[in-house]
Amino acid sequence: MIKYRDKNSGRNAYLLYPGEYFATKEDCFIISVTGVCMLVCLYETKLKFGGMCFVIVPGTFGTENIITSVLAGYGITQIELLLAEIVKAGGDRKNLTAKIFGAAYSNNGRSADELSESQIRFIKEYFTSERIPVLSSDLGGSHRRKIYFSPATGRVYKKILRNNNESSEFLKMEKEFIDDVFMNTGSGNFTLFERDTVNDF
Amino acid sequence: MNYIMVIDDSPTIRTSVAFTVKDLGCEIKQAENGADALEKISAIRSEGNDVSLCIVDVNMPVMDGISFVKEFKKNDKFTPVLMLTTESEEDKIKEGKTAGAAGWMIKPFKPDNLKSVVEKLMV
Ligand SMILES: [Mg+2]
Repeated sequence: MIKYRDKNSGRNAYLLYPGEYFATKEDCFIISVTGVCMLVCLYETKLKFGGMCFVIVPGTFGTENIITSVLAGYGITQIELLLAEIVKAGGDRKNLTAKIFGAAYSNNGRSADELSESQIRFIKEYFTSERIPVLSSDLGGSHRRKIYFSPATGRVYKKILRNNNESSEFLKMEKEFIDDVFMNTGSGNFTLFERDTVNDF
Repeated sequence: MNYIMVIDDSPTIRTSVAFTVKDLGCEIKQAENGADALEKISAIRSEGNDVSLCIVDVNMPVMDGISFVKEFKKNDKFTPVLMLTTESEEDKIKEGKTAGAAGWMIKPFKPDNLKSVVEKLMV
């Protein structure tokens, strides 16, 4: 993520890179670009702040649902990381609303494909299960999207990127992030703490 | 009757964890934060039943997972508490251990791992 001064709005802007998440109470913009991944914007309606994260489910999950699918667990965790930041700042998921963008076709943008459909199915099931209302979404399709999220108001401004030269650095970074998630590294690790026998009778 | 407490502010994760541990010979009771869990645990115990294990998230509103363990451990040194969280920082894990947790698992969990850890802790 990089921070800069947005000349048009006079506010700070935080440019989020693929795989990152960020929540803040500052009146600013959180900005990013997505293709195959989804960008989820969450807004805490009582405390009036929010955050944004990248989400991708590493594969298609067939006939399973998000409760039983191990793949879905990766997507859930990507959103949980953002939710944890919101909860640490005093928020509650019961007060959240969501806006979702992305899940563009991965086969060079020609037609709907399994990965895109799987992302969309996942995110809809997820927000239904979490009982978080989705106020707007723009999913699927063949183009990338640039998203400007105002965490102080929950508003989203969207720009469709029709040519691949625009924000092209994101194409490479998004691919790296996707490859990372598909390799399923570093999850489910656990530690059992050694204990002395408790003798307090 | 013995219960496994599943404590997480995410209904999706609660359901998923409950589904994973449902065949280990215990009833499952879900709670959405630490305070909710403490209430439900005392209700379970006042009915003459008991809790065999708690699986607890860290970041929850109202009462977080670490505060829950501290509170729970005041009156119960023996029932194991497994933390299940996105938090992976060494300091946070130490905090959990000091508070009295029996183990720390990082999300997303692998169902087989969770099941075998739960079985091990309940022995
Ligand atoms: Mg949580």
